[in-house]
Amino acid sequence: MSKRNLGTVVSFEVSRTLKKKKFWLGTLTVPFAMALVLGLIIVSNATTANKVDVQKNAKFAFEYIDSSGLVEVAIAKSLGGTPATNAQMAINSVKNGEIPAFFDFPSNPAVQSVKVYGVDKGIFNNGKYSAVATQLLTLSLQNKVGDASLFTLAAGKVKVISTSYLHGKVSGSLADVIPPLLFLVIFYLVILLLGNQMLTSTQEEKENRVTEIILTTVKPNTLIIGKILSLFTIGMVQILVFAFPVAIGYVFFRTDLRLPNFDLSSLNFHPLPMFIGFMLLIGGFTLFTGTLVAVGAIMPTAKEAGNVFGVVTALLFAPFWVISLVASDPRSLIVQIFTYFPYSAAVTGMMRNGLGSLGNAAAAIVILELFVFGFLILKLAIRLFRFGSIEYSKRVSPLKVFRHAK
Amino acid sequence: MESRGLEPVVHIEDFGMSFGSTRVIEGLSFDVYPGETFGFLGSNGSGKTTTIRALLGIYQATAGILHVGGQPFSPDRNISLGYLPEERGLYKKETVIDVMVYFGRLKGLSRERANNWSISYLARVGIASKAKVRLDKLSSGEQQKVQLGITIMNDPVLLILDEPTKGFDPVNRRLLMEIIEEQRVAGTTVLMVTHQMEEVERLCDRVVLLKHGKARAYGTISEIQGEFGSSSIFVEHAGEMPNSARYNIQFSSQGRSKLLAKSGNSVGSILKELVERGVEVSSFAEKKSSLDEIFIQIYGEEQAREAG
Repeated sequence: MSKRNLGTVVSFEVSRTLKKKKFWLGTLTVPFAMALVLGLIIVSNATTANKVDVQKNAKFAFEYIDSSGLVEVAIAKSLGGTPATNAQMAINSVKNGEIPAFFDFPSNPAVQSVKVYGVDKGIFNNGKYSAVATQLLTLSLQNKVGDASLFTLAAGKVKVISTSYLHGKVSGSLADVIPPLLFLVIFYLVILLLGNQMLTSTQEEKENRVTEIILTTVKPNTLIIGKILSLFTIGMVQILVFAFPVAIGYVFFRTDLRLPNFDLSSLNFHPLPMFIGFMLLIGGFTLFTGTLVAVGAIMPTAKEAGNVFGVVTALLFAPFWVISLVASDPRSLIVQIFTYFPYSAAVTGMMRNGLGSLGNAAAAIVILELFVFGFLILKLAIRLFRFGSIEYSKRVSPLKVFRHAK
Repeated sequence: MESRGLEPVVHIEDFGMSFGSTRVIEGLSFDVYPGETFGFLGSNGSGKTTTIRALLGIYQATAGILHVGGQPFSPDRNISLGYLPEERGLYKKETVIDVMVYFGRLKGLSRERANNWSISYLARVGIASKAKVRLDKLSSGEQQKVQLGITIMNDPVLLILDEPTKGFDPVNRRLLMEIIEEQRVAGTTVLMVTHQMEEVERLCDRVVLLKHGKARAYGTISEIQGEFGSSSIFVEHAGEMPNSARYNIQFSSQGRSKLLAKSGNSVGSILKELVERGVEVSSFAEKKSSLDEIFIQIYGEEQAREAG
């Protein structure tokens, strides 16, 4: 393959895509929408937080009956509460607008509901009644326990750092699992973003009758591989554009977005799982891309080629049907089938690699299988393109291609 | 194989091609030598485009040898090629200059050279102002000019033109003919697939005539005329034209007749007989069959045989 021509094809395909307004319109819509949504979340979170604070600290006169004996009279009084003697009378007073609210604390609030009655103040402001009732009970219980920390622990809000060992080494933490799974995320993004473009990548040559000139100017494998490389490059550009608002959001607006404070420096990038993940990504990408290009080459129009994309998407997501088995019982027959069937091997392999259940031998077999099948399907795609694309407006029979094309 | 002391640029030997059980080409052999303009003739469906596609490696031949520059064709291995296929088109959503530079680069030119050549060619054909315009915004005639430029921008050693004038308007047809002439003068070998017999007679040194996948005639124009053509004799005379065993009268009216010499009878013997039989001849001229007539004759004979 001429490296010079490969470079020429990649540069032509990438530059003409990046020059298109339509591409940037489509690509920038996503981060724009994300920025918009993130902005709304920030505003909404801030507003909600303020509202909750205002509501739970709202001061209004209310009556209450405490059958549980948990409510502290002094705290209730500080919040504006007065004990009532008869629930029905208190409810009637609320109905008549004589008192703003009435709370009925049951004998066992752990299993029974606290009943809250209030004068309607609008759908958003009515929340203050339940907020104050909850606040009253919480403050009363804290007062009974006598220590805010104990109260927090009793509520189950316990921070745990877990360390497990495999062969004497620390393993299995989230910090180990996440880095290799990033390859799975990249794989999905690239295939889902570019799958349709891969299917239709050779359609332009076909629909514009360029095939014969191009096939006598550049070798078909140079052209197809050049197109695939350019699609991968364009996919990376799109991922970077999409990731930009996420990164900005995480770095600068993490608190406002209420994102977990995950320390990225704690991630463990172990070389072997990362290498296996990378190879699975490249192998899977080759196999799926080759398949999409092959299908596209025998379809007469982009529209017909597009119909096949749904089937490919289903194949991509198939391993998620057994994700619980992949996590809990990787040796089960179904997981083994998904691990070694070529079209589910990449995704299942990347999942298992992330979860640490893909042994080195199995990884080697899956990678080899993906590359062999990927190579074969690419050869088929090139063959189909070579013959299929000069059939122009006809759908091509693959059998015919094998008989007559080189 | 004809030997001229030169290696043929195109060598096709005993080429056969089948699609399923359908035999499309059978035992086709011909050579195209450096610097010659070669006509590849035949009716629709006779297998011309299939032969060219097999020659250029797009189809795999069922049988035979197909060489360009002494070896099977490969885009990155052979001599520089200019190919104008019958089915032609370009990347319509790209600008003229981008597409020309792209093909120039693929054909081995540097970016700068491809760019400079394209600008000068566009100026020559009067569409310099369209360099940065998308191809689909150009008229079909302007698109044809761009197509032609791409075909010749690498100074091809071999120029293959499949139905070159098909779909071309008269202006572009003339431009094409000028380009072919320039290429001929520059020593380019031209292989032209066409129906246009006048162009073949004017431009081609040798031809092969394909019918139903077989070569029916192969050689120089005069060799084919000698082999397949018959001499037509136009006579102006007084009185009736007598019948004779030496010729057939194709028509005769008002002192003008067209005679077709029967096999084995020379033009001179016919004139001598007319004189001896007392026909007053005021004008006597021989005209050899044109390629067009030979083409029709070859196809007509076959059709008559098939009908019979």
